[in-house]
Amino acid sequence: MPSETYLQIGETLKWLLTIAWLLPLGGFLIEVFGAKWSGRKSRAAAYLAVLCIATGFVCSFIALCTWIDAEDLTFSDVWQNPLAIAAEHDDHAAGEHVTAGHGEHAHGDAAHADHGHGDAVHGEVAHAEHGAADHGHGNQPLSHTFTGTFYTLAKFGNIKVSLDYYIDGLTVLMFTMVTFIATCIHIFAIGYMSDELTEDYEDHFVHLPGGKHFHRPGRFYRFFSFLSLFCFAMLGLVLAGNIFQVFIFWELVGVCSYLLIGFYVERKSASSAANKAFIMNRVGDFGFLIGLMILWTWFGTFSFANTNPDQFGEVGLFQMVRTDDGQLDTEGAGMNRVAYMQSLHGERLEGTDGAPRAIPYWLLIVAGLGIFGGCIGKSAQFPLQTWLPDAMEGPTPVSALVHSATMVAAGVYLTGRFYPMFTPEVLLVIAYIGCITAFIGATIALVVTDIKKVLAYSTISQLGYMMLALGVGGWLAGLFHLVTHAFFKSLMFLCSGSVIHGCHHEQDMQKMGGLAPKMPITCWTMWIGVVAISGLAIPGLMLPYIGAVAFSGYHSKDAIVATALTFASKNPTHSLLFFIPLVTAGITAFYMHRMWFMTFFGKPRDQHVHDHAHESPWVMTGPLVALSIFAAICAWGGEHGPLAQLMLTSEPTHVAGGIAPSGEIGLALPSHHEIHGNHSKAGVMALLAAFIGTIVAYVFYCRQTVDPALVKDRFLSIHRFLVDKWQFDEVYDVMFVRPVHVIGKWCVGLDKFGLDAILHGLARLAIGVATWDRKFDEAVVDRVVNVFGEVTYSTGRSLTAIQTGRLRQYVMFIAAGVVCLFVVLFIFLPR
Amino acid sequence: MEPATLLTLTIFLPTLGALGLYVFDKKAEESMRMFALAITAATFCLSLAILMQFDPTQGAMQMQVKVPWVPTWNIYYQLGMDGISMPLVLLTTLISMLSMMASWSIKEKVRGYLTLFLLLETGMLGVFMAMDFFLFYVFWEVMLLPMYFLIGVWGGPRREYAAIKFFLYTLAGSVLMLIAMLMFYFDSAASPLSGHQSIFDLLTLGSIAKVGGFTSSMQILAFILLFIGFAIKLPSFPFHTWLPDAHVEAPTPISMILAGVLLKMGGYGIIRIAMPLCPYGAQYAAYALVALGTWSIIYGAFAAMAQTDFKRLVAYSSVSHMGYVLIGLAVWKINEQTGAVVNPNHWQMGIAGAMFQMLAHGISSAGMFFMVGVVYDRVHHRDLNKFGGLMQKMPLYSGLAVVIFFAGLGLPGLCGFIGEAFVVLSTWNFSPLLAVIAASGVILTAGYILWTIQRVYLGPKYNGPHEEDLTPINGRETSIAMVLVVFAIALGVFPYQTMISMMTPSITQLTEDMDAGYQALHGADVETVSMTQP
Repeated sequence: MPSETYLQIGETLKWLLTIAWLLPLGGFLIEVFGAKWSGRKSRAAAYLAVLCIATGFVCSFIALCTWIDAEDLTFSDVWQNPLAIAAEHDDHAAGEHVTAGHGEHAHGDAAHADHGHGDAVHGEVAHAEHGAADHGHGNQPLSHTFTGTFYTLAKFGNIKVSLDYYIDGLTVLMFTMVTFIATCIHIFAIGYMSDELTEDYEDHFVHLPGGKHFHRPGRFYRFFSFLSLFCFAMLGLVLAGNIFQVFIFWELVGVCSYLLIGFYVERKSASSAANKAFIMNRVGDFGFLIGLMILWTWFGTFSFANTNPDQFGEVGLFQMVRTDDGQLDTEGAGMNRVAYMQSLHGERLEGTDGAPRAIPYWLLIVAGLGIFGGCIGKSAQFPLQTWLPDAMEGPTPVSALVHSATMVAAGVYLTGRFYPMFTPEVLLVIAYIGCITAFIGATIALVVTDIKKVLAYSTISQLGYMMLALGVGGWLAGLFHLVTHAFFKSLMFLCSGSVIHGCHHEQDMQKMGGLAPKMPITCWTMWIGVVAISGLAIPGLMLPYIGAVAFSGYHSKDAIVATALTFASKNPTHSLLFFIPLVTAGITAFYMHRMWFMTFFGKPRDQHVHDHAHESPWVMTGPLVALSIFAAICAWGGEHGPLAQLMLTSEPTHVAGGIAPSGEIGLALPSHHEIHGNHSKAGVMALLAAFIGTIVAYVFYCRQTVDPALVKDRFLSIHRFLVDKWQFDEVYDVMFVRPVHVIGKWCVGLDKFGLDAILHGLARLAIGVATWDRKFDEAVVDRVVNVFGEVTYSTGRSLTAIQTGRLRQYVMFIAAGVVCLFVVLFIFLPR
Repeated sequence: MEPATLLTLTIFLPTLGALGLYVFDKKAEESMRMFALAITAATFCLSLAILMQFDPTQGAMQMQVKVPWVPTWNIYYQLGMDGISMPLVLLTTLISMLSMMASWSIKEKVRGYLTLFLLLETGMLGVFMAMDFFLFYVFWEVMLLPMYFLIGVWGGPRREYAAIKFFLYTLAGSVLMLIAMLMFYFDSAASPLSGHQSIFDLLTLGSIAKVGGFTSSMQILAFILLFIGFAIKLPSFPFHTWLPDAHVEAPTPISMILAGVLLKMGGYGIIRIAMPLCPYGAQYAAYALVALGTWSIIYGAFAAMAQTDFKRLVAYSSVSHMGYVLIGLAVWKINEQTGAVVNPNHWQMGIAGAMFQMLAHGISSAGMFFMVGVVYDRVHHRDLNKFGGLMQKMPLYSGLAVVIFFAGLGLPGLCGFIGEAFVVLSTWNFSPLLAVIAASGVILTAGYILWTIQRVYLGPKYNGPHEEDLTPINGRETSIAMVLVVFAIALGVFPYQTMISMMTPSITQLTEDMDAGYQALHGADVETVSMTQP
C-alpha cells in the first residue's frame, strides 16, 4: 500500500471513529437537560440517544468495511472447506498467505503471515521483504495500525502527554460491537424504562416511615443521558492511543457505571452498591497508577506505538519493549536482569549519554502487574470481584450494557491491548487470577436464585475465562470470547430484563417457572444465549463452509480450552490451569440451564406472578432477536472465520510463534500451531463437560426427577458458604472498611488531643507566664516602687514639720548646715 | 495601558472601592453590595487585561515595575508577572468576584464587611505581584488583619477562638519569614550582584542564590524558616489545625476565599521565595517535603473520613489536596555524585502539577465550600448525618454539587485530576515508596467524597430540621456554581491550552536556575555541571 493510501485510510478511519465517539457526548449534553426541554413524559431524549448511538454504529460499520477492504481480507480459509483445512493444515499454503499479506500491500506483517503455522523461515522471509519495501511506518508488528494525536494535555521538554488515537482491527471491531450492542440496548431500554415516563413515579423498593412507598417525578431522560455519557466514555477507552488516555476514560466509564448503578438514588442499596463499585475500582486503579508511574518514569512516554509517518522517530511503548520479531531484549539474571529498549531501526535505543536505555526486568513485571491491577478492578476479577453482583442494583439495561458487554470487558480488552508489555511472569499471574475467578464465579452462580445475579456471577466467571485465555498465551482466544460473550451475555441480560419487566419487577427465580408459553420470544432467544455460553454443539457434525454446528460461545470457549490444554501440556506444573476451566465449563452449562429451566419450565412456583406475566412489547423483543442472531452466528467459522481473522490482524507478533521456556520461571507459551493440534481433543473434552452439566440441570430442574433441596441439605455447609459468596464481603469489611474508619478517628483524635492539645498547652503556658509576670509586677516591681514612693512620701510628710515659713528659722538652718558641712569636710577630707 | 499603571490599578482598585463605599448611605446595603461586586468584577477584567499583555512564551519576569519606596533601606515598590503568578492572579480575581456574589448572605454590618473584603483582595493581589521581599511581607500582613476580623466578627459561634487561632498561627509564620528576610537582606551585602548593598529585591536575591552567593548552611536555615512560615499557610501537617476551625467558623464567602486563594499563598511563597532563594536548602529538605506532602494527603483523607461536620470534612479535604502541591514542588531528584538533576522534565512536570493542583483546588474547594454554604443558608446546620434526599428537593443544585465534588475527587475531565495525576506520576522518579503511598490517596479520596455525596444528596428523604426551607437555588447561586463548573471542566479538558502552556517557560527557568544554584554549592570537586536529559 503506498504511503498516501495508508494516510488516507488512516484519516478516514480516524474521522469515522471520532464521530462515532463524540456523538454520544453531544447527545448527553442535550439529554441531561431533557426535563427542561422535552418534559418528563416525552421520549425525545431516548430517541436522541438512539439516534446518536445508531449513527455511531453506522460510522463504525463503515469503518469496519473500510478496514476489511484496506486489509484485503479475503477470508480465504473460510471459503475453503474447514474440514479440509483441519486435515491439510500443514500444507496450507503459507506462501499464499504471505503473498496476500505482503505482496499486494507492503504493510503486511509477520503476525499475519505466520499465524496458524508458526513457520519461522517464512516469518524471516517476510521480514526481509518487508524491511526493504516498507520504511517509515514504524515497527513491523504495528503496520496494521493507524496512530495520531488529537491534542496535547501537557508538554515538558521532550516528554508529553496527549490525547491520541490508535486504530487497528481490534479497535474497529470493538467499536462496531459496542455501538451495535449499545444501539440494541438503547432501544430495549425505551420499553424497559417506560415506567419512568411520568410525573409521579412510585418506587416500590423504598419504604418511607408510615408504610408508604416513595414517590418522585420520572427520570426517563436522565437514564438515557447517562447511557450516552457511558457510550462516549467507553468508545473513548477503545479509541485511546496511550495508556494514560485509557486511564482517563477508564475512570470515566467508572463514574458512568457509578451513576447508572445508583440510578435509583433513593434506594440505600443502590447508592451503596454504586459506592462499592467505584471504590473497588479505585483500588484497582491504584495499581494502574503504579504501573503508569513506572512506565512514565522509565520510558518517558505513554503512547502505545507511533506509526504515523509524520511523527517518525517518536517511539511508543510497544515499539520500545519489543524487537522487530516481537521478542523482549533482556540481559542478566535475577534482580539484575534488564530489558533493553528498542529504537525503530532494529537497534537498541540510546539515551542522551549514548548508553543503551534499559529498564530493570523486575520493574517491567511490576508495571505489568500494576496495569493488570486496574483490569482486575474493572473486570471484577478475584480478589476485587464483589462489586459486580451488587452492581445489579442498576436497571437491567445497564447491567446488560455496562456490567456484561462493555465496561467490565474493558479490563480484558486492555489486557489484550497491552499484551506486548506483559512478561511471561505477568501472564502467569493473569492466568491464575482468571482461573480462580472463573471458578469462584461459577460456584456462586450455582446457588444464587436472583435471575440477574446468576448472570452477574456468570459474567465474573466468563471474564475469568478470558483472562485465563490471555494468560496462557491465547491472545485470540481471550478476545474472541470477549466479543462472543458480549453478544450472548447482553442478550441474556436483556432477556432477564424482559422477564423482570413481564413479571412486574420480580427477580427471584423461586417465584418463576413455566413462563415459556407466556413469553415465547424471550424464552427462545434466551435459549440461544444459554446454549451459546454453555458451549454446546452438535457432536461430530462439521459442515462445509460453516464448520462445527454451534453457536458463537462454542467456538470461543473451544479456543480457550484448547489453548489451556496446550499450555498445561507444555508446563505440567500448571496443569490446574486446564482442569479448573474444564470443570468450570461443566458448571457453567449446569447453572445456565438451571436458570433457564427454573424460569421458563416446570410448574409455576408463584401463581400470582405467573398469572400477571406477559410477553414484552416489540420494542424490547426486537433487540432480543437482533442480538440472538449475532449470538448465534457471530463466531461462524471459528478460528478461521471472519471474526477471528479480523482480530488476528492486530495480534501482537510474538504470540503466534509461542515462547520457548525462559527466565526464572521457565514458562513456555504455546504457538498457534501447537494449539491447533490440540483443538479436537480439547473440543471433545469441553463438549463432554458441557453436556454433563446440561443433562444434570435437565434432570434437576426440568424433569425434576431429583429434588435439588435434597442435594442442598446434603451439602448444607458448602451451600451456605456459597450463598455467603465465599464470605468476601465480611472479610473485606473486617480487614479494610472498619480499620479505615478507626484510623480516621485516630487522625481526628491526633488533631484534637495531640496537635491542638500542644497548641492549647502553649497558649496556656503563655497565659501562665503572663499571669506570673503580672504577679511579679504586682508583688515585686510594684512593691519596690510603692515602698519607695511611700518612704518618699512619709519622709516628705514628716519634713513638713520643719517647713514653717519663718525666714529666720531658715537662715538658722542654713547656717547650722554650713557649719556641719564644714565640720564634716574638715574631719573627712584628706589633707 | 502601561504595565506600571495596570498592575498598580489592579492591586489598589479594591482599596479605592473600599473608600468609595463610604459615599453610600449606611442603610443602602443593596447598592453597596452591587458596588463592591462591580469593583471585584472590574478587578477581574483588569487581570484579564494583564493576561492580554502577558507573553506566555517567555519564562522571565514581565511587566516589571520598580519605584523607590524607602530608598535608605533599598526598599522598592516592585511588581512583576511571570507564568507562576499570572494564573494565581487570575484565580484570585475570579474567586474574589464569585465570593462577593456569594456575600449576599451577609446581613449584618454590611459596610464593614465589604470594606474588609476589598482590603483583603488588595492584600492577596499584592502578594502575588510583589517582587520585593519587603513589599511581599507588607502585603502578606495586610491580608492578615481583614481576615482576622472577617472570621472574628462575621463568623459562627466559636468565631473568636478560630480567628485568634488563625491570627496567631499566621503571625508565627510571619515572624519566621521576617527573620529569614533579614538574613537575606544582610547577607546580600556581600555579593557584587547587589552592588554590595543590602537589598530586598527578590529577583536579584535569586540571581545571587543562582551563583551560590549564599552559604549552604545559611540557605538551609533560611529555607526551614521560610518553609515553616509558608507551610502554615498551605497548610501542611502538622501546622494545619487552624484550618478546620477557621473554615467551620468563617462565613461561606470567606471560606471560599480562604480555601480558594489564601492557601495558595503558602504554595506560592515556597515556589516564589523559598525555592529560588535557597536552592541548596530546598534540595537539602526535598525528601522531607515530599514525605510531609505524602503524609498530609493520607492524613487529611483519613481525618476527612471521620468528620460529621460538612464544612470540617471539606476543610480536611483541603489539607489532603494541598499535600500534592508540596510533593510536586519538591520532587527534585539529583545525582548524588554530580549534583545534576535526574530527569529534569519530570521535576518540571511535578511543579506544573503542583501549580495546576493549586488552581484546581482553588476552583473545586471554593466550589465545595459554596455548596456547603448554600444548604447552610437554608437549614442552618452542617451535620452530615442529618442530610439526605437533597437530590429530590434541589435537583439542579445537587447536580452541580456532584460535579464539583467529583472535581475534588480527581475525576478525569475535571480540574482535580490533572494536578493529582501529574504530581503522582512525577513522584516515582524521586522516590518510588512515597509515590506509591501518595497514589493510594486516590482510594481514600473516593471513599470520603462518595460517602459524603451519599449521605447528603442521595436517599429518599431529608433527615434534618427545617425541611420546608430547602428551596431550589436561586439565579445568583446558580450562576456562581455554573461559573465554577465551567472552569472545572475547561481546566480539566484543556489543561495545556488554558494554563500549563503559560506556566511551563517560567517553570523551566526556575528549575534551571535552582539547578545552577545548587550545583554552585554541590562540592567543588565536581567538574561537569550539566542538566542530564533522560
